[in-house]
Amino acid sequence: MLGPLDPLINFILEPYFFSPFIYPGLTIGLVVLLTLIWAERKMAAKVQLRYGPLYVSKQIGGALQMIADALRFFFQEPIIPRQVDKIVFLATPALALTVTVLPFIFIPAAPSYVGVAVSYSLPLVLALGALIPVVIILMAWGANNKFTLVGGIREAFMTVGYEVALFISAFAAALYYKTLDLSVMVEKQASLGLPGIIINPIAGFVFFVAMLMASSKLPFDIVEGEQEIVAGPFTEYSGILYGLVMGASYLYLYVLMLVFVEMFLSGWLPVIHGLGSIYPALGGVMLFVKTYILLLFAVFLRGVYGRYRLDQALSLGWRRLVPLSLIAALWSFGLLIAGV
Amino acid sequence: MPQNPPGAVRMGLLEDLKEKLGDIAAEIREEKPNYYSVRVEASSLVEAARRLVEMGFDHVASVEGVDWIKEKEMEVSWHAESYEPDLKSIIIKLYTRVPRDDPRVPTLIDVWPSAEFPERETWEMLGVVFEGHPDLRHLLLPSDYEGIPPLRKDYRIKVEGFIVDLTRQQKQ
Amino acid sequence: MTSQGSRSSETDMGYGPGTIKEPGFRYRPMGRDAEGMELYEIFIGPQHPASGHMRIVVRLDGDIIVNADPDIGYVHRTMEKLSETREYLKSIPLFERATIIDSANITWPYVRAVEQMLGVEAPLRAKYLRTLLAEINRISSHLYGFGLTGIFINHSTMYMWSFGDREIWVQLAEELTGARLTHTYIIPGGVRRDLPQGFKEKALKAIRYMERRLEDYMKIFVYNPVTVARFREVGVLTKNDASRLGIVGPNLRASGVHYDARIAEKYGAYPELDFEIPVMEEGDSLARLLVRIEEIKQSMRIIKQVLDKMPQGPFFADKYMRLIPPALRKHVAETGRIKLPGAFIRLKPPAGEAVARGEMGHGEVFYHIVSTGDTKPYRVRIITPAFRNVVLFRHLTRGARFMDLPVIYGSIDYFPPEGDR
Repeated sequence: MLGPLDPLINFILEPYFFSPFIYPGLTIGLVVLLTLIWAERKMAAKVQLRYGPLYVSKQIGGALQMIADALRFFFQEPIIPRQVDKIVFLATPALALTVTVLPFIFIPAAPSYVGVAVSYSLPLVLALGALIPVVIILMAWGANNKFTLVGGIREAFMTVGYEVALFISAFAAALYYKTLDLSVMVEKQASLGLPGIIINPIAGFVFFVAMLMASSKLPFDIVEGEQEIVAGPFTEYSGILYGLVMGASYLYLYVLMLVFVEMFLSGWLPVIHGLGSIYPALGGVMLFVKTYILLLFAVFLRGVYGRYRLDQALSLGWRRLVPLSLIAALWSFGLLIAGV
Repeated sequence: MPQNPPGAVRMGLLEDLKEKLGDIAAEIREEKPNYYSVRVEASSLVEAARRLVEMGFDHVASVEGVDWIKEKEMEVSWHAESYEPDLKSIIIKLYTRVPRDDPRVPTLIDVWPSAEFPERETWEMLGVVFEGHPDLRHLLLPSDYEGIPPLRKDYRIKVEGFIVDLTRQQKQ
Repeated sequence: MTSQGSRSSETDMGYGPGTIKEPGFRYRPMGRDAEGMELYEIFIGPQHPASGHMRIVVRLDGDIIVNADPDIGYVHRTMEKLSETREYLKSIPLFERATIIDSANITWPYVRAVEQMLGVEAPLRAKYLRTLLAEINRISSHLYGFGLTGIFINHSTMYMWSFGDREIWVQLAEELTGARLTHTYIIPGGVRRDLPQGFKEKALKAIRYMERRLEDYMKIFVYNPVTVARFREVGVLTKNDASRLGIVGPNLRASGVHYDARIAEKYGAYPELDFEIPVMEEGDSLARLLVRIEEIKQSMRIIKQVLDKMPQGPFFADKYMRLIPPALRKHVAETGRIKLPGAFIRLKPPAGEAVARGEMGHGEVFYHIVSTGDTKPYRVRIITPAFRNVVLFRHLTRGARFMDLPVIYGSIDYFPPEGDR
């Protein structure tokens, strides 16, 4: 019997909808966002000998604090300063979120489960991610404020600092797998029985560091640089607009972390049998678990590091990470020639 | 880390000061132990300061003015210090007195760069004009402050009690 | 009065081309230097996450600071004028509000200057008690500065740790004086309270804890690769400049000048104690951090010695003790707490003047008091260490990168309320 809601449910369960909007996309992304920020604050608090979020839902350690914060963002008046370019100012936060969410369509979430299957998913995801800095620079320009302008320039500098290393290290790993399709890469790792990080540790390391720079997490939160430029490109935003731009950077970290796990930590392996037969996307639960643990590690760095200076981060990018990623490419090449 | 050097204090500084500054100073006194004052005319301030620097007093702790309203005079003084081991306990006050209605002294920031901010403060708080000071802008007061410099004795402080009489204020 | 004095390059402490010096000059959004090159002007503060109660007008050429002009005075409380309107004793609670985190050290030289004029000397036990509180305050002042330095490079752990650990010293001071921050403990003639029972054990426990924590600080912050990268060779102050600009405190000693007002003035119990003045030669921001760490250790060493050597005897000068009615005097002897007689407010030093210097956590504080023989001072001049160090904003930031500004700010430990008085 066909129920009245069945077409809708079927539509939702189609990969091309489910993947960008439910898992790994927007919905789970939102859950990740809310729990990750809570975990970040809780972990930092633990290191710093204090409680962290506590008073909203005291029984579960203030876990609902982020929901309260999100609600506050929703109901706060978004102030639109007079000097801003109104269209750009209002459009860019939504645009930033859009380009952050788009890559989910191409990221395989489970064995043979992907929103839109393309054989070039790796460059596609990275290229879409590379659009974010463009939006942020536009945002900085549109807000027409001195701090946002400096933040925008910093974003431009940082982009050229990490993007090269990010791409080369990703392709160095892909070189060994002889494919640019993320799901094929996971299969390759399965057939080898080794995660990519062991096959090419240098590429994995460079990708991870470049990823921290890309999502401006400590020690590379230079673009936001509170102590110099207030909130960088986001200075003029308030209310839900600020919530959007802040959430976008966490979501981007989540996107890159999914790619990292698929490339270097053998993705959804080991597959838990049975889950995949309920619904194919559930087969990717290990992918999610690995990603989440690594995300926790990435945000934990807040408790340990300060912020690097812009020129130091740039020289790290160009003088260390780019040569290292080239070495990683040579390493992959060597492995191929040696026929390992 | 080096040990503390012995706290030897230079002896006979008063004689040294008299020898060095005797020809331009109007008065050299030992006010308290380790505290000497040298009074000069405004015209020989720069020269006196230069000689003090030669003696080792290479920076000032303070520049200040005292408004002697009864004598109609403004005392402007520079308190010089030194980080030299044998001079570090000593403070020398180099001062002059100028007419209160037009207090003008040469700036000493070419001799003592450390005098810059305190001279700026003395300018705004007491109205002493340091001729040659390149940056006499308001420092602590609002940049649009006008009126009697607040540290002058004829500046009247408006006192507001705990209970403000609103009716009286409205009448005014 | 705006003529530009001729200046040799040696004494040129910050008037480069492009600095516009006329009073009343209004900053344009984009300035130009002497060659007509455009400079980017940023106003850091007074409403800014990391400016404190001040403004720094920064002019940038790309990422390089051409000129930074500190604009202070946002928390000016007219302390010099106010002190002219009140009796000598009443100025003590006023002055300690200049540096509320270091209130014993900022008022001690004032009290000493008043004592000099009155011809009173505090008994030996009072001197030891003053030293004890001064060193407790010094530690908490350094920890405060340390926390801010941490958050200036977004190292929130250092910020939280040192502010949390500062609490121990604040509570220790409360145990001794009855107040957390505004102690008004040091008064002409002695101190307000005797050493409480069981203080020594608490202090030793705090020292043991702090020694352990300092090692943690070194691991997570001072020798953290990020911190070293940010602080080393940033904001270098040479020995000559430090001396010529009259820089004070740890900033001076990090540049290789061995000077400390505690040694120079030989006040309190310091001449009888064994401690070192930490000095470093590098003069960079990292050296300034390390000097502060070392000073915390030395302060703990002093506290230990003070507690061991604490002499018996009165803690308030006999001259003023006699003002107290005999019944109350018994109360004082029993409780160890001075209840000041009303006559005490009318301290009347003879006409004359006195100067006194003292070493605060931030550096040397200078007082000059002019008396006309009245119950109120004719003029009190206070020069706080922050006010003497404010020139460093201009001197050290020149040629530094824009992101170095918070590092320099943190490393010179500038405290705006203290600079503004």
